[in-house]
Amino acid sequence: MEKKPDTNQCIRGRHPNSVTVSASFLLHLSSVLGVAITYWVAQNFFFINLISNPTQTLILLWVVQSPILILLFSLLRQDPQQCSYWKAVGRGIIGLPIGALIMAFCGVMLGAPIGIQDLGKTVNWSLLMSLFTIVPTACVFGSSCKDWLRIFAHTEPGGVIDIIICVPSHGALLGAWFGAWPMPLDWERQWQEWPVCVSVGAVAGYLIGIVVSLGFVLVVGERRELVKEE
Amino acid sequence: MKEPIGKWRLISPFFIILILHCIAILLFTRGFLLTRTELSTFSTCSDISNSPCNNPNFNLTDDQNQNDSRGCWTKPAVDRVVIIVLDALRFDFLASSSFFEGEKKPWMDKLQVLQKLASDEKSSAKIFKALADPPTTSLQRLKGLTTGGLPTFVDVGNSFGAPAIIEDNLIHQLVQNGKRVLMMGDDTWVQLFPDQFGKSYPYPSFNVKDLHTVDDGCVRHLIPSLYEEDWDVLIAHFLGVDHAGHIFGVDSTPMIEKLEQYNVILEKVVEVLKNQSGPGGLHENTFFMVMGDHGQTLNGDHGGGTAEEVETSLFAMSLKNPPASIPSALYTASCILDSSGKKVCASTIQQLDFAATVTALLGIPFPYGSIGRVNPELYGLSSGTWNRPVISASNYKQSDLEKWMQNYANVLCVNSWQVKRYIDAYSAASVIGFSLEDLRHVADMYDQAQNNWSQRSENFSLCGNEIPNESCDASLTILQGQIDAYSNFLASVAELARSKWTEFDLKMMGVGLGIFVLSLFVHTIAIRRSDKLCQISCPSNGDCHISLRVISAIFLVAIRACSFLSNSYILTEGKVASFLLGTTGILNLRYSLVKKETLIEAVAFLLLNFVLRFTTEVGLSKQEGLSAFMNLYPLRMLAIDHEHPVLAFVSNIVPMLTLILLSYLLVKSTADNRCSSVLKYVYNTGAILSYMLIALHWALESNLLALPLVLKHVDRDYVPRMIYAIGLGLLALSALTHFFKKETSNYTESVLTKTIGMLSACSSTVILLLGRQGPLIALACITGGWCITRFGQLEVKTKNGIGVFTADPLPVTQWSLFAVCLFFSTGHWCAFDGLRYGAAFIGFDEFNLIRQAILLTIDTFGVSLILPILGLPLLVVLKYPYSQGTGGTQGRGIFFVKLSQVFLMYGLITSITTILTVICVTIQRRHLMVWGLFAPKFVFDVVGLLLTDVIICLTSLYYFCRVEDGTK
Repeated sequence: MEKKPDTNQCIRGRHPNSVTVSASFLLHLSSVLGVAITYWVAQNFFFINLISNPTQTLILLWVVQSPILILLFSLLRQDPQQCSYWKAVGRGIIGLPIGALIMAFCGVMLGAPIGIQDLGKTVNWSLLMSLFTIVPTACVFGSSCKDWLRIFAHTEPGGVIDIIICVPSHGALLGAWFGAWPMPLDWERQWQEWPVCVSVGAVAGYLIGIVVSLGFVLVVGERRELVKEE
Repeated sequence: MKEPIGKWRLISPFFIILILHCIAILLFTRGFLLTRTELSTFSTCSDISNSPCNNPNFNLTDDQNQNDSRGCWTKPAVDRVVIIVLDALRFDFLASSSFFEGEKKPWMDKLQVLQKLASDEKSSAKIFKALADPPTTSLQRLKGLTTGGLPTFVDVGNSFGAPAIIEDNLIHQLVQNGKRVLMMGDDTWVQLFPDQFGKSYPYPSFNVKDLHTVDDGCVRHLIPSLYEEDWDVLIAHFLGVDHAGHIFGVDSTPMIEKLEQYNVILEKVVEVLKNQSGPGGLHENTFFMVMGDHGQTLNGDHGGGTAEEVETSLFAMSLKNPPASIPSALYTASCILDSSGKKVCASTIQQLDFAATVTALLGIPFPYGSIGRVNPELYGLSSGTWNRPVISASNYKQSDLEKWMQNYANVLCVNSWQVKRYIDAYSAASVIGFSLEDLRHVADMYDQAQNNWSQRSENFSLCGNEIPNESCDASLTILQGQIDAYSNFLASVAELARSKWTEFDLKMMGVGLGIFVLSLFVHTIAIRRSDKLCQISCPSNGDCHISLRVISAIFLVAIRACSFLSNSYILTEGKVASFLLGTTGILNLRYSLVKKETLIEAVAFLLLNFVLRFTTEVGLSKQEGLSAFMNLYPLRMLAIDHEHPVLAFVSNIVPMLTLILLSYLLVKSTADNRCSSVLKYVYNTGAILSYMLIALHWALESNLLALPLVLKHVDRDYVPRMIYAIGLGLLALSALTHFFKKETSNYTESVLTKTIGMLSACSSTVILLLGRQGPLIALACITGGWCITRFGQLEVKTKNGIGVFTADPLPVTQWSLFAVCLFFSTGHWCAFDGLRYGAAFIGFDEFNLIRQAILLTIDTFGVSLILPILGLPLLVVLKYPYSQGTGGTQGRGIFFVKLSQVFLMYGLITSITTILTVICVTIQRRHLMVWGLFAPKFVFDVVGLLLTDVIICLTSLYYFCRVEDGTK
């Protein structure tokens, strides 16, 4: 938290901290609500859930979630003067399939099934993963290599925006990683099949990440306020 | 000047650990792996003349009924036998529900036709509680039932691939004595007895989810066969109950439906048998049995030794009623009144006794290895055992009962003689036989019983021919005493055999495990000590914080080790390893991004993981027998599919091109190595020559090149042998130069030369044995090893300080995980059917145990154990630029300390996983899959650990040469 990059400082100069904190609350609230409502709708109106129809549910999740996340995170783009809102949206839309490709590669490398019958599941799962991890960063930072490295390699989130992007996406990655653990067990439950428990892990990790990031944001916000008062 | 670090101080821990592991493994294995030697001797009819008992034939000489009693060891009591095996028949499926406390469960009293027969006074039928011996798996049980022995995990002499029984057994005796056997149902029987059955209708048993195929097949053939005359023994094996249990559990509708279906079938069978049981009928003297091979738990599991699993049932009925019932002293039945006031009984029988009793009933020799006793209740059910021919000249009138008992005592006499003969033969033939004390005790009991009987039977034969005297009044009590004496002898033999063959020696296992844990401590202490050695020689390394890398290394090893506690993770061990390796790859990528270096390596490593993951999948699918997977994966097709000409050409040419690439890499890697040029050229030419020979061998094999006929006449085995010879020659050369050549001052370079020399000497043999996939796998090895060493270098460059460990544990962990992945991706897995026997015969046609075992070991562990350990020094050496190699004593000391620490860490990782496997088999020793899954895994891990230790010791002797030289 001590070494804040310059780019963030200028954002902070224009936007008061409190706005960013409350904005991050709203943003996270809407993404949580998005996930929850989508799942509720899937269960009660389409009569599908992750276990019985993983592909359809995943499609529904990412189709509903992607406009929410892309549109909202594009609002937080890094340098609004040089980069228009729609450009940020475009970055997010391009980032989605590219991220999905990376996620699918990692998933298959770590052991996702590779049959033709699993292709749809893998594609939709990786789109969802991409949405949780790559897309927000793409919307906000675009192709700025330094910022990507800061978020994903160094894992040293500098400001409020960094925190709300970095922590939930790492949560989703870790959740998916741990979610794969019960898969080989011979309990013969339906939820052990690819990609049910990995998706559940990813969503759970993402939600936990959101809660944690909000906590961090609060701490950072308070600290800044103290700095200001001094 | 700091204290110099001696060579022996560094390598002595390896030897201590090797010795500790050897002791631990020896003790644990003695306690855990029950072994039994299979004797290939068979009983024959004429053997009986050696026995001290009355020969039934001899007694029958005057008999009018001589024609129909072609007695062999005992007098035949039944003509035909119908055996219906209901797999996993619990005792409470058959026995009346009034035997069990509590309310009646839904699956009870479903086989009412048998219950009615058993409680009917007029019919000679009985329900038995049959006690099986663990392991309660179908294959072992069928083996036990037919041989009358106690099959164990390691039946020495059993050929690994084919499960066919080579011991003397019931079926063999039946065929040998002219009985025709008809089999239908479970195809396990056909595997066990490939060519004994006159006629058979086998159905596949492997699909557990299929409840009906086997049963329907049985039903289709069973009833018509009962009207046929062309068999003497009919075996029908139904699998539905077993499969229903595995899938749905005992308390389920499919299970109850199955039992009801069986009731209908059995009703029909009994009806047919009864209709034909009149005088002159087909089934006038037929013996009918319905039995389970083992029980099952309420969840449908079996394999272990709990009461539910070992208690199965046996229903027996003779279609000819005996004149009386056997003396009450021989009864084991417990009778109670059921709800309607009817008396229901159930006796107890050991499954061990089955083979002996059936052979006695049929009058054929007992299987040589049978240690069972002829069960009086089962034997007495048949009327044929009662009408012992009356010795005509005698005035003396024996009662039916007395005659039966005399007959039975004689049968027991034969039985005891046969068991005694087996025990003696076994002790003589087996390496680990019975203890002398036990043998003497058993022999005493036998002699006592036998002496008694000899006197008595003399008297009886006197009675038969002359005027009765007092001794002929062989009262029932004396006969009873005699029967008891034999029974006691047989019981004590069975007890002895059980303790030897079915019970784990927990004390021994515990001690072994304790020593294992001790070795772990020694390992850790050794690593810590070498740390201290290093700090003595360079005190600057003060900081002792545990870095993230150390934690992640420990975490990875811990996950992998703990995964062995579950059978599912053992089954998918390859996947788990590749998952963990992939994770380290991602971590490495992240790390390289941070450092902005070795990015290409990180990505290459991920891609390599991607490829390895596919090949691992193929390996696993091969284990599951899904050959359909094969066609999906291009890499494997190179090794397997030869049908399409273009594909065949590609599959032949790609490995050879890869070989050329390998030689190029070898030359390039040694090109900038300035020292010992002569040696270098020898190694290079040797390796390249053997690569060329490998290519030639494959070309000859596949007829790829239209080689002149001259070459074809050359013995094909000649080429592989030359490759082995070159490999051995290079190894010998390395050893010689090690002893005679003076050490160069540049120690890193000398170790590097040695490592590359060793690798090139061994690689050709390993590649050859792996087959077409060999060069590709070798390429994967090189790529993976290079990436991992580069990551290690990265750490050195960025962090000059030394953490808790002098050497970095993360690359070592990666190295070990990578080796495990290679094991699985080369198509191996931890089971005996995963061994590639074909590889053992490359270059040799005839079998030689030691030679073929060595080749098989090289094939199995070559790429996953031998090459990685030989290549371990690369992790340390490549961290040093060449110029540093000439540094002073201090640098030299640290270098070798690091080298030893890398070896120690690798050994520690291997032993941690092995110890967890050992703990796992200890906990799961009564698990369903202990013999199918845990025990093979245990054997593989233990062999791997010992091999690791031995290779580490040998290579350390070679690599750690004269450390102290530089100090003098």
